[in-house]
Amino acid sequence: MGLKPGTNPDVEAVTIELSIDGKSVTAKSGVSLYDVISSTGKIIPAMCYHYTFDPFGSCGMCLVMQEGKKAPVRSCTAKAAAGMIIKTDGDDLFLARKKAVEKHLSVHPLDCPVCDADGHCELQDMAFRHGVTNLANAKQKFIPEDTRSPVLDFNMNRCIACAECINVCKDVLMIDALQFMKKGGFNQVVPKGDLALSCEFCGDCLAVCPVGAITNKFSKYLYKPWQMKKTTTTCNYCGDGCQMYLETKDAEVVRVTSPLSWKNKWGDRAETAKGHGGICVRGRFGFEYIDSAARLKQPLLRKGNQLVEAPWLETMHQVVDRFSEIRRKHGPDAIAGLITARCTNEELYLFQKLMRAGFQTNHLDSSARYGHLNFVHASQHALGIGRSPNDWEDLTKAKAVILIGSNLTETNPLTAVRIKEAIRVYKAQVVVIDSAVTNMAKLASHPVLIAPGTEGLVIDGLVKAALELDLIDETSVKKHPHAFEALKAAVAHVSLEQVAVQTRMSVESLKDTVTIFAEASRSIILCAEGIVRRPDGYQNVLKLIDLAWITGKLDQPGCGVNTVTEEPNEQGAVDMGAAPEFLPGQVSFNDQTARDRFAKAWDVTLPAAGSGANLVEILKGCKTGQIRALYVIGENPLATLPASMEVRAALDRLELLVVQDPFLTETARMAHAVLPACTSAEKDGTFTNLEGRVLRVREAIDPIGESLPDWHIMTALANALGCQWEYESSNDVQAEIMKLLPGYYNLGQPRKVVPVIDHYLSNGYAADVAVRYRASAPSDAKNGRPFALLMGQVLYHSGKLSTEAIGLITIAPNTGRLRMNPQDMERLAVSEGTTVRLTSDLGSMQLAVQSDHSIAPQTCFFPEHFNEPPVKDLMSVQVDPTTGVPTFKQTRVTIEKA
Amino acid sequence: MRVAALTKQILQAALFYEIWDAMKVTFKHMFHKPITFQYPREQRTLPDTHRGALALLRYDDHQERCVGCDLCEAACPSRCIKVISLEDPERPLQRYASEFYIDITKCVFCGYCVEACPVNALAMTKMYEFSTHDKRTLLFDKKRLYEIGERHLEDAKKYLYAHNQEKNVEESREYRYYFPQSVLKPTQPPPKHLG
Repeated sequence: MGLKPGTNPDVEAVTIELSIDGKSVTAKSGVSLYDVISSTGKIIPAMCYHYTFDPFGSCGMCLVMQEGKKAPVRSCTAKAAAGMIIKTDGDDLFLARKKAVEKHLSVHPLDCPVCDADGHCELQDMAFRHGVTNLANAKQKFIPEDTRSPVLDFNMNRCIACAECINVCKDVLMIDALQFMKKGGFNQVVPKGDLALSCEFCGDCLAVCPVGAITNKFSKYLYKPWQMKKTTTTCNYCGDGCQMYLETKDAEVVRVTSPLSWKNKWGDRAETAKGHGGICVRGRFGFEYIDSAARLKQPLLRKGNQLVEAPWLETMHQVVDRFSEIRRKHGPDAIAGLITARCTNEELYLFQKLMRAGFQTNHLDSSARYGHLNFVHASQHALGIGRSPNDWEDLTKAKAVILIGSNLTETNPLTAVRIKEAIRVYKAQVVVIDSAVTNMAKLASHPVLIAPGTEGLVIDGLVKAALELDLIDETSVKKHPHAFEALKAAVAHVSLEQVAVQTRMSVESLKDTVTIFAEASRSIILCAEGIVRRPDGYQNVLKLIDLAWITGKLDQPGCGVNTVTEEPNEQGAVDMGAAPEFLPGQVSFNDQTARDRFAKAWDVTLPAAGSGANLVEILKGCKTGQIRALYVIGENPLATLPASMEVRAALDRLELLVVQDPFLTETARMAHAVLPACTSAEKDGTFTNLEGRVLRVREAIDPIGESLPDWHIMTALANALGCQWEYESSNDVQAEIMKLLPGYYNLGQPRKVVPVIDHYLSNGYAADVAVRYRASAPSDAKNGRPFALLMGQVLYHSGKLSTEAIGLITIAPNTGRLRMNPQDMERLAVSEGTTVRLTSDLGSMQLAVQSDHSIAPQTCFFPEHFNEPPVKDLMSVQVDPTTGVPTFKQTRVTIEKA
Repeated sequence: MRVAALTKQILQAALFYEIWDAMKVTFKHMFHKPITFQYPREQRTLPDTHRGALALLRYDDHQERCVGCDLCEAACPSRCIKVISLEDPERPLQRYASEFYIDITKCVFCGYCVEACPVNALAMTKMYEFSTHDKRTLLFDKKRLYEIGERHLEDAKKYLYAHNQEKNVEESREYRYYFPQSVLKPTQPPPKHLG
């Protein structure tokens, strides 16, 4: 309705005084009267009001008496003006509100016993509060329920037309999937165009609906709200770290709700900058993997060609005996370990301690190696901090955001909501630079479509444009004149016209982008998989840091170069030292003081400095036979890496492969022993999200079958090897981490980090930067193949874990089809469903196509979560020389009609 | 006189007078009509409001009344009712109880569940004879409860009439719960007044 919230920092408004219940209150002129009243601490009943969006004024419950007006006034839509005299209580108001409730109830069906919102319904609460027992005349609507969508059901009989769902979808989430439509004489909420609902399925409309008009199909009729136990935990799907409530009944997870469903509606609108309390489709509807029938309930041992169930004791004895034998015969360097970043901080810490102190080897790595470590290394090298410096509040309040190489809505939807709030409320200018028409590109002020794989060149162009337009921050460069000269020399050969030709981003666009970025007071760069999971990721992040440095955006509050993480605890994996080059706390493994400290704390000798192997080197070692035993926790390299990495051959060669996973993955099928781990819903621990915030994961149900938390299995393994670990719970591990990394947990607030660029700029910067901007064509030369094949994440899935959740597979099944631009399809004379032959330098396969408008011409896309058909095997792998990150998400292909 | 009193005393002692005196009440009662019920040959007539074993009822066309709303579970002070509700897959949006357990050993027969039931699916009967040698049979599952309902339908209905939960008239018998109807597949005929 256009009422500016009083807490928006940009609002320029006069302060006025008015009287509420006889007391004088100061407020900003023009804000909603309801906000003013609730700021005094008095909560008036309201049903259609929600603090995350502008008031709508449809329910008629928030009545107050204003002196001078005969009838009660709806306070939510009334604007505060100077000199108002307001009365908020009294018998007349009680009766007026009671009449409003009766009006709603008289068209409301008597569905309470069968309604999923029974007990959690605002209409029930209002009726109870106002003592409504009889209705004079009731008229039912008898509208059939819309059950067409796979996820949400719309029962318009129960709808009170409060428009909260429409407002949340349009205003807060900027998806706009719902609308009012007059059907059959009634105003109903229907999906846009009255088609079956097909949107992002974030479920926020479900969360804000005050009655049971929108219900969840996956938990339909399975519960009543009062029966369930709510456990506050952190979502296990992406690096956003959203808080959610796992609602369990009798040791089964029945549904997932977000703080938005339960939060006091009368919250402070400024708090939404830290997160509006919603979750996404994966968090809300992807919980069914927890008690899936495919969960491993017993350990498995290989007998002959088969994996048979075995009891824990026997399995552990075998595993320990074989590990010890291999270590005795071939030394500790024959053992290696891989862990997933979906494990908690405590488990990651124990993992690297087990490998280094227990097995005495430094051959270990985590799934953060697949891309995040590019950012960490670049950021550490240049700025001394190994993570994103800005939190969600900074992202929301930014004035300029450059989103490069990131399909943010698909990978980290809630971070995308922060950017959407920045666009909508804080009027930020957002430049989206991507090789597909992403959701953020459709909402941003400056969307730019570039040729695939040319992000590095774009950054070259931006730096050059900054220098050409003299958008330099004098204070920042004056401190390091030599470094600045070196940078200028390095980009001297870059020509904006050339960049424009190769990237398809016009010179005008490059100049506009840099101008917006440099001139804004709070500027953020957000890069993600399009930068760090591609070749030259490390160098490209360093280039972004160069750009931020010369425009003076590194040490200003609210500015910085950030990334988002795909798995929930990638940041934690690096912080806990689950990488051969790091010890816990992101200190170098070769740093002698740190080595001494940890050696003393753990009472062991650490493996030699300079030793150790990362993911790619471990796989190579397995192939050559140097590594004979591999301990894999939660990772699935066989299904993730392309065939050119020869993972199967490598794993075949191993003498001992132990896999610890909640599911029987492809890698687990090759194992000699499979240990059933439990999911994050069945253990306690912490995750570190992309902001650097440490969030708690809590146990909602007991571990299923005989599965055990990873930390428990590792403790048992270590003790059987002879270390004397006394961890009885994850709290004990936390206590140890707290001693070794003081201040890490920081009570759930991101630790403030200050980027320090001086050391980096004064030591060898010139040599570094000279090679960084070397003139080169995009890293994958066309070599005669006209299409660029990209693999990436889709919104409804995350890694391979989400494919075990039946709900998400129902929403977004594996179509097995290649997504192409409709114009390309027309040119090749293929239609939807036709089979084509896809050929890369490494091989060829046949698959059907489907059209997708968001795919740019001359590109095609296949989701990375599915291996049927194994499109990933067409990819070649490039390993970054500095960081060891393998990249395999992009290649060039030929497409022909089959 | 001392002699008369002494004689009385001796006579009373010789003829056991105290005993006959005390037995007067006993002999009198021998000829009273007994009020003991010779159970199990004679049984007490129970009033209609008697709270015996619980029963689940059906409509006249054999459809289950219970909609699986869990209100009885919430109302029970001994927490002996357990309901698992589901959506009937053949009839979308129809809610029903797929599992319904009453642990009759915990039940205190207070009748709160019957009061709470919005569709009068639960009722109490005059049955109190369900002792057994196997305690497991005392966990009444849905099948058992519907059996009791069938066998004691009259008593159950009388209970509901006596407690003013249902009227013994035609309209009451025809009333049934109108579920939300799916737009894809309607499952109930529209209510009478809508035609």
